[in-house]
Amino acid sequence: MPQFWVVGEPNADGSISKLSTEVATLASTLAAAAGGEATGIVVAATPERAAGELAAFLPRVIAVADPALAGHAWSVPAAEGVAAVLAAEGDTDGTVLLGAGPDGRDLAGTLAALTGRGVLANATAVAWDGRLVVEMGAFGGKLITSSGFTGTGGIVTVRPNMVTAEPLPVAGTVEPRAAAADAALPRVAVVEQVEEAGAAAPIEEARIIVSGGRGIGGPDGFELVRELAGQLGGAVGATRAAVDSGWIPYSQQIGQTGKIVKPNLYLALGISGAIQHKVGMQTAETIVAINRDPDAPIAEFADLLVVGDLFEVGRALMVALRERSG
Amino acid sequence: MRPVSTPPSGHRLTEEQVLLRDTVRELTDARIAPRAADIDRSGEFPEDIRQLLAAQDVLGLPFPEEHGGVGGDLLTVCLAIEQIARACTTSSLILAVQDLGSLPLRLGGTPEQLARWVPDLASGKTLIAFGLTEPEAGSDAAAMRTTAVRDGDTYVINGTKRFITNGSVAGLVTIFAVTAPEAKRHERLSCFLVEVPCDGFRVARLEHKLGIRGSPTAELELTNVRVPAANRIGAEGDGWSLAMRTFERSRPGIAAQAVGIAQGALDAAVEYARQRKQFGRPIGEFQMIQAMLADMDAQVEAARQLLYTACEVIEAGAPDAARWAAMCKLVAGDMAMRVTTDAVQVFGGYGYVDEFPVERMMRDAKITQLYEGTQQIQRLVIARALLGRVSD
Amino acid sequence: MHIVVLTKPVPDPAAAAERLGPDMRLDRAASPAVVNGNDEYALEAALKLVEAHGGEVTLLTMAPPSGADTMRKALAMGATRGVLVTDPALAGSCVRSTDEVLAAALRELTFDLVFSGFDTSDGTAGVVGAAIAARLGLPYLSNAARIEPDPAAGRVRVRRITPTGYDVLEAPMPALVVCTQVLGEPRYPSLKGIMSARSKEIASRSLADLGLDGGTVGGAAATTEVLDSRKPPPRGATTVVRGTAEEGAAAIVTLLASRRLI
Repeated sequence: MPQFWVVGEPNADGSISKLSTEVATLASTLAAAAGGEATGIVVAATPERAAGELAAFLPRVIAVADPALAGHAWSVPAAEGVAAVLAAEGDTDGTVLLGAGPDGRDLAGTLAALTGRGVLANATAVAWDGRLVVEMGAFGGKLITSSGFTGTGGIVTVRPNMVTAEPLPVAGTVEPRAAAADAALPRVAVVEQVEEAGAAAPIEEARIIVSGGRGIGGPDGFELVRELAGQLGGAVGATRAAVDSGWIPYSQQIGQTGKIVKPNLYLALGISGAIQHKVGMQTAETIVAINRDPDAPIAEFADLLVVGDLFEVGRALMVALRERSG
Repeated sequence: MRPVSTPPSGHRLTEEQVLLRDTVRELTDARIAPRAADIDRSGEFPEDIRQLLAAQDVLGLPFPEEHGGVGGDLLTVCLAIEQIARACTTSSLILAVQDLGSLPLRLGGTPEQLARWVPDLASGKTLIAFGLTEPEAGSDAAAMRTTAVRDGDTYVINGTKRFITNGSVAGLVTIFAVTAPEAKRHERLSCFLVEVPCDGFRVARLEHKLGIRGSPTAELELTNVRVPAANRIGAEGDGWSLAMRTFERSRPGIAAQAVGIAQGALDAAVEYARQRKQFGRPIGEFQMIQAMLADMDAQVEAARQLLYTACEVIEAGAPDAARWAAMCKLVAGDMAMRVTTDAVQVFGGYGYVDEFPVERMMRDAKITQLYEGTQQIQRLVIARALLGRVSD
Repeated sequence: MHIVVLTKPVPDPAAAAERLGPDMRLDRAASPAVVNGNDEYALEAALKLVEAHGGEVTLLTMAPPSGADTMRKALAMGATRGVLVTDPALAGSCVRSTDEVLAAALRELTFDLVFSGFDTSDGTAGVVGAAIAARLGLPYLSNAARIEPDPAAGRVRVRRITPTGYDVLEAPMPALVVCTQVLGEPRYPSLKGIMSARSKEIASRSLADLGLDGGTVGGAAATTEVLDSRKPPPRGATTVVRGTAEEGAAAIVTLLASRRLI
């Protein structure tokens, strides 16, 4: 019977990450199609809350409590915990699904080495068609590939917003486990945790992104971007030019050397749409651009291009949106 | 098919030359091109670009490896000038003048003199200017009035030099001066390296120019400037010969600049012709535009190939090096003027305003018909090579 | 201090000519190769550290023999030498083979730190670094915004970017660090760097040299396979609105409302 394992990522406050709940729903759908089972695994110093929350989306969640995780980087010992669960469950050919965020990809790499399973990363769609079929973008989205594992199992990291998380009618059970005593891989100490002022919501998961480029002209110009994002309930993004100029942190950068996003709406202000940026956002469902230059490359792939001064149009848009929301 | 006018071909170039050229090209596109319009608008010497060219060893290209240079041959230096000039003539002139100003030293300097000055020139720490032209001695350089009078172990130099590129930012100036007023026309001059600032040396004024606006063109006044005899390059009376041998190797640099400017204007015009729509079509679909672009492309390539051939012939020590140097500069300079003018035409009214780079390139192109010998002087040099001197 | 930087030749994203051949592998002839952009950031970080602390930087690449050409550019930036793992059996390698082979090559080298780029512009998986660290039992420090080795103490501190700020991680060396762009723009190779790179050593290693078997790693042992590839569906035509700011704003609101985005 095909097995689908969901690695649940706990947030800093102990809750389950939104992306993990999406992955859980995806795994349940796959299990139903394949006639298999979907099971969650949460490894943390205190996994109870995250495991409980994940169990709203999966019939069974294994919660591995590893007190030694406190004060250490999560992904490597968590991967060891996951590998131990797979071994204890006798799983050699199941599919491990996890979110394609920074922690998920770290864990996927470690788990691949520990279990010898293949990895298909940054899936944009996953289906069961007698076998697992994983759709991914290649070469910055210039090509879409469908891939599978040559054996029966493997590791898949899943992009945000692929599915909407749907709780089960009846919540699943949580099975507490103690961590295996013998950690083989070195643990890395976290000696300090720093919250930076102005760090915004993670853009990978945002359904609406308002983004600014070189045309914004300076850090003050991002005020308008933030206002629009706030009004639309979205996150703030930026091009490399804006980040390199120090107007906004790297965490908000979208593109070749930044993040790849697929929001429902991408509102681009003063962004020319150079290939390096395009590869980070071209799969957005709706792209709206405000740009002074009607010949900017973004004119070739936006749904709507408003030609004009981004500040004038942006402010008029704020007014119109406020009026609408009454 | 999306046509590609660049990257340029590697035909006839060595692997090393292609590598160096492409590196300078990438550097130019990433770091110099974005500055070009500002440099022109502000008219200020781009110290940041000078530092960049120094840090990347571009200014070291013309100098021998044993003194910290890169050891590039003439063609390699020209390839670099061409690539920079595609985006910014002023910036290309920093390398061209580092080459020009140091040529008398490299051609006639003693091992001691080379060891003393070349390392700082190769590293770009010191810039060097070339002081030949005077208010009353332009094309007729031998008519110069600046004098150098021997006084024990020193020379005392008096006179005025005009149109000296980088004269206000250089730490070394190659000064030509009359040491033998009564000697034959071509034996009157000697060549000196003046380390500046020094007593009696003054930048009298800077010119306001049509183009190459970020490149300071200085008038230099020398009043009882004393230089050690050890700063004389070559023997007394060698000045004229050093200057002429310098031009054999520096005029190709100006030709390279002209080819680069023209290529930059052509690239901009092609891009514009693809994007600009009139009568519901990209203007590149109109045959009159196509014909202009085709002629521009063919002319640029013809001048480029003449330049590359000239570099090889001159490097090989041809007896008619002066002729080749003059021919490539003549052809490339006139070509650049035509091509940049046509590029402005392709842009229509937009070509006349500074929203696009072609008006700047057209203004910059003009200087390549004027400096390091006007086009008329180039023709004179070529004709003399053909006919021999009619009288002298 | 000795740092090994993992570098991969990738099809030049700027050329936008990437495609798969009939064997579902990258058609390398179709697109010029460049050093993976994020690997250049890792190399820059390594060069800066070596300039500050002394030492050497070795490039490690797994690629076809033509990989040596792109390695030259990385050598021109200032790396000391390169190791190119190349073997016909490696064509079509999956992520698992890649990390196994690179781990085997690293076992032959001595180093204090191994740097990898955040991800590659062709595959974008970004998991090879973690897998190598696990295979070699190295401490794994990812998403580095700052790297501070203390060679005397034999330890390294790394600022790891988090969604809300950063964590400061500390581990003994040798360790593997995944670099990000925040570490600083890669330098351009200087002309002297380019000239000297032509004579720098690139040691070539085959699978047999590394004691690996072409039956258990490489294309024959791939854990994943590409079943199908296609171009993304073209986007619809762009509506262009010119006019007053208010007209532009109204056009945006109308579109967003029609698509239920507001």
